[in-house]
Formats: sequence, structure tokens, C-alpha cells
Amino acid sequence: MLLQLQNVVAGYLKTVDVLQGLSLQVEEAEIVCLIGPNGAGKSTVLRTISGLLTPSKGSVVFDGQDISGVRPDLVLQHGVAHVPQGHSSFPEMSLLENLLMGAYTVSDKALVNRRLEAVYELFPWFRDRAKQRAGNLSGGQQKLLEIGRALMLEPRMMLLDEPSLGLDPKKSHTVFDTISRLRDETGITVLMVEQNARSGLGISDRGYVLELGRERLERSASELLDDPRVAQLYLGGGIDDTLQA
Amino acid sequence: MSRVGTFLKQYWMFVALGFLLVYPLIWRAPYYHVLGFNTLIVATAATGWNILGGYTGYKSLGHSTFFGINAYLVAITANELGWNPLWSAPLLALGVTVVALVLGWIMARAKGSAFVIATIAMLLIFRLLALNVKSVTGGAPGLSQPLAPWSPEYSRMPFYYYMLFWLVIALLVSAYIRRSRFGLGLLAIRDDEGKANMVGVNTTLSKVLAFGVSAYFIALGGGIWSYAQTHIAPIFAFSILNDVDTVLATMLGGLGTLWGPVLGAFILIPGSDYILFNFGASQFHLAVFGVLMVVIILFLPRGILPSLRDRLAARRETSSAFTGASTMEDLSDSQPRGEVPGREAPAP
Repeated sequence: MLLQLQNVVAGYLKTVDVLQGLSLQVEEAEIVCLIGPNGAGKSTVLRTISGLLTPSKGSVVFDGQDISGVRPDLVLQHGVAHVPQGHSSFPEMSLLENLLMGAYTVSDKALVNRRLEAVYELFPWFRDRAKQRAGNLSGGQQKLLEIGRALMLEPRMMLLDEPSLGLDPKKSHTVFDTISRLRDETGITVLMVEQNARSGLGISDRGYVLELGRERLERSASELLDDPRVAQLYLGGGIDDTLQA
Repeated sequence: MSRVGTFLKQYWMFVALGFLLVYPLIWRAPYYHVLGFNTLIVATAATGWNILGGYTGYKSLGHSTFFGINAYLVAITANELGWNPLWSAPLLALGVTVVALVLGWIMARAKGSAFVIATIAMLLIFRLLALNVKSVTGGAPGLSQPLAPWSPEYSRMPFYYYMLFWLVIALLVSAYIRRSRFGLGLLAIRDDEGKANMVGVNTTLSKVLAFGVSAYFIALGGGIWSYAQTHIAPIFAFSILNDVDTVLATMLGGLGTLWGPVLGAFILIPGSDYILFNFGASQFHLAVFGVLMVVIILFLPRGILPSLRDRLAARRETSSAFTGASTMEDLSDSQPRGEVPGREAPAP
């Protein structure tokens, strides 16, 4: 087991706990998707893991080490990279400079160049657009750039917060495909939060349904996709269902 | 023609340097040497200022504080200790840089317009000190120092070459910083200081260092200017007009580019001098100059170099469009719209 959360209680205000005793676990090289309604605490889970929030109770264990309440930069050094919601690239800098910012804390130039080559290998189009201003990339390209930037530190695990946010269906499809391919090619572990539950579960091995700061259901992704309750609540009806209703 | 073009494209730096080396030998009148020297001082200062104002995005309007401090240090050490400004100016500028690091550490707590105002206040404080600490600075009448030993026949030619050397050094430093990890951090600060902090840039240290490096080249110019003038007074040594020249030159050529500040200085200083020369009888030259600046800012808002670069890039883009890899095309915005799944009319 790579990551384990046990009875985690955490929140932004002292009096209001967003996570109310949540437990979940992620195996090495797994893609796990968190789904659930707004306010269930999906993003809060990722922030608690990456150290932006300190749990008041419970523990976060990564690779056998307790990282609950550890500073974000140290969590990153443990090998957990957080790609937050929305755009986090530097718009005025070039694509290449954005990638280099990902490894800013690495002073070994040769190592940075090796990793850059590895990222280029995964995303060949980065090389062609290396000098382009990041702000001129499309939303999907920027999301992939942010993922590429996170890879510059060679993390073992990536936390993705709504990777498809603001993308049209075709582009979000490409982003999900890329995440899935990334796992297959590098063996990276992915924990992702996704509003677009159908696509998120589509590339995941397992999924958790979160509600009111707790995990309500834990199933394999295919079981969740087939579960009628989940379908009704979180997947949204297809066109056929809407027409029949 | 095209052969000349490619030659210029590859070796334009050496062509430009060569021109600057022979310039005082071709235009021998002292006027041209003075003009060249003044232009080089502004070009060097603007190259330094650009490291803070251009790369880091902290636009100081008070950096001539360091110009003034070094001007006085050079004059005082020449009078009291007999130091030769040709070696004392770059050396004392290092001392001024230390002062700048301390002041920068205070200044860099402010952001945006607050930073600009704080730097102006810094300049005014030092000007007040220069005016009032009469035992050291001589007060409002200023200080004189020994004349340069060479014959007036050569006028400012030695100063010109001396400053040309330092301009080359300033450009090398600026280019090195632009390519270094430190420079990358500066660009990130300009873009988004919070994000820069998040990915591990020590933003405070970077800002303070950028403040210090930019101060060095401005202080250096102040020291040499002091020697060339032989007489300095607070209102000229600590003048916001020096900052205006520096900042305008940088903006005109291209903020945040390596060559922009130099190009800007070589247009701005001879240009304003030409206008002064032709329309100088009244204050009309200021109006002409103002109109020119407005026109340039309207048509080239990002400065000459970035605007030209954009135009070239746009031309290149249209000629080589639609040749990307598949993943890239899937994500690019140029694909035809109207194919969003789920929007077709429902089957009966």
C-alpha cells in the first residue's frame, strides 16, 4: 500500500470539519478516483495529503511514513506532487521555462536535463512548442503542461484536482487518455478528484464515493459505473434517460 | 542582398560593437564624444535596471539613489585620498551595492505601485541628505574634484571607451542571469510571486539580489559621470530625471529583453539630444519629445524588440500552421467546433 488515510478529520476553520473521519487507501501504480457532490470534501482530501491542511485527527501515511501535518515542500520531497484545480502555470513564461520551474529546487543541471528529456519523451509536442508562451496554449495543453511540470520532480504519486475542469469533452478526453497512458508507461500512482465522474472512473481502477466528509462507497471503477445509485446521483443520466424522464 | 542579410543576422553584435569602437574616431568633435558617453551611461544603467524592472517586474523609480551615492563617493575619495576614479568607481560601486542590498531588503516588502512610491521616497531622502550634510557633501553648491589628466584635446574619448567596456560587462551579466536558474526564478516572480514561492523560489532573497545587481551598474555610471563632470551637485546626482531616462529607454527598447534597454538608450538619448538641438530655443523640444513617446507607446506598447519579435513569429506561424503532432492538435483551439457530443438532435 502506497498511501493510507485513516479516520482523517480536517477542515479550514477550527469549528468546521470538512473531513469527518475519512479513510481511504491507494495501492502502488493504481489510478483511484474520488467522486461525490459539491462540498463532500474531495479537494480537501488532496489538500490534506499534500500538506496544505493539517489533519486534527487521524493519520496520513505515505510509503510507510506518517506525513500528516508535514510542510507541502517536504511532502513533495517524499514524492507526492499536487496539481491543483484551474491554471497553475506561469502564463508569461515559455513552455520550457514552465517545465524548468517544476525542477527549480533541483540544483543538479544534468539531472534536470535528464528529466526534461523524459518528460519530452512522454509529451513529444512539448519539444515543438518549447518556446511558446504558456498563456497562449489551450486549456487542455496547459493542463498537460502542469502535469508535465509536476513530473519534473519524478514523483511517485500525483494528486490531480479536477483535471478536466473547464475543458470541452474532446479535450478532457485527451487529458484522461494521457493520465492513463502516463500510469501505464511510468507506473506512477494517481489519486484524482473529478466532477466528470464518468470519464474519471473510465480510466480508474477503483473509486470512492464521498459524502459529507466520509467515504460512502468503495468499489472497483467498473462496479461504480454500473451501480444504479451512483449512476443516478453522480454520473448524470444519458440522453436517453433524460428523454424518458 | 540575402547574403548580406544572413551575415548581419549572425554577426550583427560584432558589427554593432565594431561601429561603437570606431565611432569616436570618425566623429571627432567633442560633442559626439559627450553624446556617446551619455548614451553609454544610460544604456549600462538601463541594462542593469532591466534585471530588476524587466526580469523581476519590480519597477524602481529611485535607482538613481545609487548613481548619486557613488558619484559622491568617487568625488570624496578622489579629493581626500587621491583615489583614481577609473578604478575606484567600479570598486566603490560594490560598496554601494551592499547599501542597495540593505535598502532592497526593506523596499522589496512593498509590491506594485507601493514599491514604486517607496523607491521614489528613497531617492528623495538621499537627496535631502546630500543637500544638508554639508560637511561631507558640500551641500547645495556641490563638490569639485581633480580634472582627468589627459589633454582636453581628447575630450571624453577615454570615458567613452571606458563606459563601452562596462556596457559589454553589463550585457554579459544580464545574459548570464537571464539563462540561469536565478533568472528563471526572477521571471517566475514577475509572473506570479505566490506561485513562484510555491514551486520553491526564495522570492525575498531573489528580489533583494536583483535589486543589488541592478544597483551596481547604475552606481558605476554615477561614479564615472562624477569624474567626467568634475563638479557634481545634489539636484543632478540625485535626480528622478535620471530614472526617467533609464526607464524610458528600457520600455522603448523592450522591457525584460536582453538588448531592449541598449537599443532604447541608443534611440532615446541621441533622439532627445537632436530634438533639443533643433527645437531647444524654447521648451518646445519637450513637447516634441513627449508626442514622440506617446506615438511609440501607442503603436509599440511592449517596446520595439518584443513587438518586432511578435510580428515575425506571427508571420512564421501562419506559414507553418497545421503541422503539429496528433496530441497537440487534439488539444488546440483551432479545431472545428460544433462537434460536441450529445448535442445532436435526439433520434425519434
